[in-house]
Amino acid sequence: MSPSRHGARYVGQPAPRVDALEKVLGSARFLADITLPGMLHARALRSRLPHARIKRLDVSPALAIPSVHAVITNDDFIDHGSYGFPVKDDYMLAHEKVRYVGDAIAAVAAETPEAALAGVQAIICELEPLPIVSDVTQALDDDAPQVGPDRADGEHPNFLSRSIVNAGDAAAELNVADVVLQDEFSTPHQEHAYLETEGALAIPTPEGGVVIYCSNQSPFINRDNVAMALGLPPELVRSIQPPVGGSFGGKDDLNYEASAQCAALALKTGRPVRMIFSREESMVASYKRNAMKMWVEVGAQKDGTLRVCRFRGLLDSGAYASESPFTAWRASIHAMGAYRYAAVDIDVTAVYTNNAFSGAFRGFGNPEVNFAIEQMMDELATKLDMDPMDLRLQNALRLGDHLPHGQKLDESVSLVQCLDAARQKSDWDRKRREFARHNASNEIKKGIGVAALFHGLSLGAEGADYAGATIRIDDNNRIILTSGFTDYGQGSRTVFTLIAAEVLGVRPERIDMLRPDTDTAIESGPTVASRATVLGGNATRLAAANLRHTLDLAAADLLGCQVAQLVRDEETYIGPEERPIPWEDIAAHARSLGLQLSAQGRWQAPSIHWDHNAGRGEPYFAYHFAVQVAEVTVDMGTGQVQVDDIWAVHDLGKVIFPQGAEGQVYGGIAQGLGYALSERIDYVNGYLQQTNFDRYRIPTAPEMPRIHITLLEDALSAGPFGAKNVAEPAMVPTAAAIANAVAHASGRRIRHLPITLEQVLLGRNLMRPATADRARRGLLL
Amino acid sequence: MPRFTYIRPQTLDETLHLLAQPQKRSRLLAGGTDLMIRLRYAAPDFDRIIDISRLPELKIIAREEDSIHIGASVTYTEILESALLQDLTPFFVAAARQIAGPQIRNQGSIGGNIVNAAGGADMLPPLVCLDATVQLASKQGQRSLLLTDFIEQPHRTRIRPEEVLTRIIFPAPQPETNAVFIKLGRQRTKAISRITIAAMGRTDARGRISFMRFVPGAIAPRVQRFTAVEERLLGELPLPELFRQAGEEAVRVMNALTGGRWSSDYKIPALRTLTQRALAAIFSLQSI
Amino acid sequence: MQITFSLNHQTIEIDAPADITLLTFLREHLGVTGVKDGCDVGECGACAILLDGQLVNSCQLLAPQADGREIITIEGLRAADGGLTDLQRHFIDDGAVQCGFCTPGMILAGEALLAKNPTPDREEIADALAGNLCRCTGYIQIFDAIAATARERQAQTTTGERP
Repeated sequence: MSPSRHGARYVGQPAPRVDALEKVLGSARFLADITLPGMLHARALRSRLPHARIKRLDVSPALAIPSVHAVITNDDFIDHGSYGFPVKDDYMLAHEKVRYVGDAIAAVAAETPEAALAGVQAIICELEPLPIVSDVTQALDDDAPQVGPDRADGEHPNFLSRSIVNAGDAAAELNVADVVLQDEFSTPHQEHAYLETEGALAIPTPEGGVVIYCSNQSPFINRDNVAMALGLPPELVRSIQPPVGGSFGGKDDLNYEASAQCAALALKTGRPVRMIFSREESMVASYKRNAMKMWVEVGAQKDGTLRVCRFRGLLDSGAYASESPFTAWRASIHAMGAYRYAAVDIDVTAVYTNNAFSGAFRGFGNPEVNFAIEQMMDELATKLDMDPMDLRLQNALRLGDHLPHGQKLDESVSLVQCLDAARQKSDWDRKRREFARHNASNEIKKGIGVAALFHGLSLGAEGADYAGATIRIDDNNRIILTSGFTDYGQGSRTVFTLIAAEVLGVRPERIDMLRPDTDTAIESGPTVASRATVLGGNATRLAAANLRHTLDLAAADLLGCQVAQLVRDEETYIGPEERPIPWEDIAAHARSLGLQLSAQGRWQAPSIHWDHNAGRGEPYFAYHFAVQVAEVTVDMGTGQVQVDDIWAVHDLGKVIFPQGAEGQVYGGIAQGLGYALSERIDYVNGYLQQTNFDRYRIPTAPEMPRIHITLLEDALSAGPFGAKNVAEPAMVPTAAAIANAVAHASGRRIRHLPITLEQVLLGRNLMRPATADRARRGLLL
Repeated sequence: MPRFTYIRPQTLDETLHLLAQPQKRSRLLAGGTDLMIRLRYAAPDFDRIIDISRLPELKIIAREEDSIHIGASVTYTEILESALLQDLTPFFVAAARQIAGPQIRNQGSIGGNIVNAAGGADMLPPLVCLDATVQLASKQGQRSLLLTDFIEQPHRTRIRPEEVLTRIIFPAPQPETNAVFIKLGRQRTKAISRITIAAMGRTDARGRISFMRFVPGAIAPRVQRFTAVEERLLGELPLPELFRQAGEEAVRVMNALTGGRWSSDYKIPALRTLTQRALAAIFSLQSI
Repeated sequence: MQITFSLNHQTIEIDAPADITLLTFLREHLGVTGVKDGCDVGECGACAILLDGQLVNSCQLLAPQADGREIITIEGLRAADGGLTDLQRHFIDDGAVQCGFCTPGMILAGEALLAKNPTPDREEIADALAGNLCRCTGYIQIFDAIAATARERQAQTTTGERP
């Protein structure tokens, strides 16, 4: 690629988000804003019981209502609408039994949302209650009620998956370690709480197919699921993603169900059908971050060298598998923390219960285990009379180290730099001393705590990791970019635009990204695992480079020189005669030569292998390293915790979109703050107790601490311009840092999230009287 | 077919006339935030909404001789922007300021807060401290009730179907009276009160406590003065040991009123702490 | 019932059903989709509008309550030349927009604040947004955008310029 006369013009420079304009104008059309002539409204009948056999289902009373146009059950789908990956255990509409409160049983399409609801309420659905499993520690008991299907492999029906990591001889190490500590932790479910709820819109096409608009994260998965469920060839199903009001991992499964339900209803009625979830329906029916129970044992030498980590995790997958086998795997990989060990023995087991099913949520297993292991590190530091920073520095993974899993870390390992930076910027040492002194004689106490993390980039050895992008210059010299990746606010569209602009040497304003659309994009796997920047970014980079090459050829021809003699100066091309030619002229010349001004790019992640049985291998091809420090004020008279400051030091390889990267850190910390302090979820006998924002408290503006961000750039050679990612790592350590700070302030180690007033003041939680009513009522709102 | 009709009378008289119609089940709308939540969850138990949120007679904030009059449709925002109330009852203004979020403060009305009488209604403790009375109007005439008599239990008051709560009236506090309002909630934006305390106090020339009002909120089924706490304090010198004893007394009163609740284990130590802090704040201030 | 009100500087005379929320009325009957439905219980602020200049949640009002009032939604927020206001521009420039669902309500909350308090400090900005939830941004860049707009307007007031 011909050199530029300047450094990077667009990548890493301040840039506006490319889709912000329509959002500040209020003209962005989210799903609920799309209304079409003749459109029907759909609503699902959802189970009021956490576990039951469907004894009788009679939809005719609903069909008798004049404004109800169609009702579907799982009979309207191929193979009962079964779907799910990696375990195909879910259904577009429940088959024979329901497994959680909110499980969809039938769907109604009617003239108005009120009529659809009336239709739902008219359906005769007799459920025969089955005994439930609500406590994850009882799910594998011999006499546990059976949630999952019978298994041929002899495992318990409620067993879903086991993920192990094995190195050295953990038992022997624990025997000889100078210090051994054991502790038990738990993390709750967490609700994504995107401001826009789930939904789908399906439009039947003249050819007997269907176009779906859905706020899903993975349009191709949605298309394939719907095609499979409806028995249509994939070419007849098109999935388009409109602007999405937040996702954080949460807009997969239930959105696929909504899409299939709307598609089936659309084909049956011949009319567009739209389903929008109410907030209560979303909270009750949609999947959550899995709850986990964790038992951790660490052994160390008395000089602070870590020797061994034994970790047992029990992950509540709830009613269906969804992503839990993958979450459990990622949790197992990260459970020991970003440290060197002589031995590890990690086992994370996922089980079924009759709580709402769990699926992907930002961090995907790492926030959960990080909460446990990072507190263990602090407990160990206390035991050894070491500063928590020093303990981490001593054991932190460094360039050239091997992960306990066996993989050598060859590049972009900056954990020590992150620790040093966080220590210095937070004024750690002085505060550790002074707060301890202050706390001895004050009821309002101060604390400062740290948490470190590593986070494997992209899908890891879990899956096929590839991406494709297309780019073309249209006749008006607009540059049209497509990607299989979706942007639900995290900024991937802007990242791709900046990369394309940089490689092509044109201003980002010339670039339009099409909406993710199975008709125009190249399938690139799901937009998850913070993989968009590297996978999608590389694909975009390659597509742009291919197009650039065409322009370079045209320029060389026009300027009568070799490609190697070309120089770029902003948007112009300059040949040996030093006369700048605008790139539009180059494009025009290319056309006149008969060249196609379009290209594709495909990128495959480096090949990595994980031995699932041995628990060893290379789990990810790259890692994000980071540290967060939290400073808190704890009122020991009331139990109130206020987070005053957070210092976040993240190495993301290369910052492509600065405001986007910062926004991800701020937003991730906010979610971590809620996870830590206020987002309480209780399932009691399978009934969710918090069904709207009145009871489910996500952080509000006045609760935000001062946040001090330092972004380090230790380039990853495989990343576009050296970039890695930041979306998920931003929230991984926040809760642990806060818990460690609270322990420093109060002397109380809080092992269960969220850190409630009661836990701080009393050392335990209180439970308000539980009710099934909120959840049941929520299904009809 | 709408589930109910809506009418917005222009005067209080018109309102009372509408309410006097026996064949219509009417519901008054002032702020409306409680009504809207209720409508979401249950079918309406009324045929007609009467919107009194903009009635001029219900929008006054005024001093009449030694009394403060606040119209029932006055919003929390209007309370906290009132120079008169900021000057005379800053702790009452503080309660309004801590109602969660500008939207709710702009819309919610003091009359609605009282008539809805939620157990955790924030404005009630300061008003009880201030010995507030409520004025009720109907076609039959007017009557006044002490606020504490008006509220029977959470979500039930002695308002009659044909009545409108028109005003809240309380005597202007004496000079040299200090007052505080403390709110403890789950978060800084404390939408669901877990404990509030409104308290007023004054010392005499010898420095002894000569006047005391102590009203916790979200603590007992009915908002009321904890007179046992007040009596413990009267005549004494305001010192930390006294405040500690007052805290114990407050807890004793709470337990007597509520028995054991799911939240008692938390509220006991928290109430103890907040009582001491409230008293320390009152008696270290120079003036209101 | 028949009502008359001003919506985004235009007078509307229309029959409004008594028993629907103002939110539903604006979105479904008047096509004003910039006002969003996030929770329907007055907690999230996505449905916030300016009603006679006051920030309120339209899901907590009945449609006929619009009668005789001036309503501004995000669609009505434009500069004198029809372009973006300074606050909207700062939301774009300062990174205050991610998914955009809370953005209309947030911008209106910012305008409501600056109308009452042209020189807010950080805490006052945060308090003014207490009724508007955002799940994406963590609020910080939203504070930045509002603070930058306030500074700019103060500077213009000093120099006598108007945007």
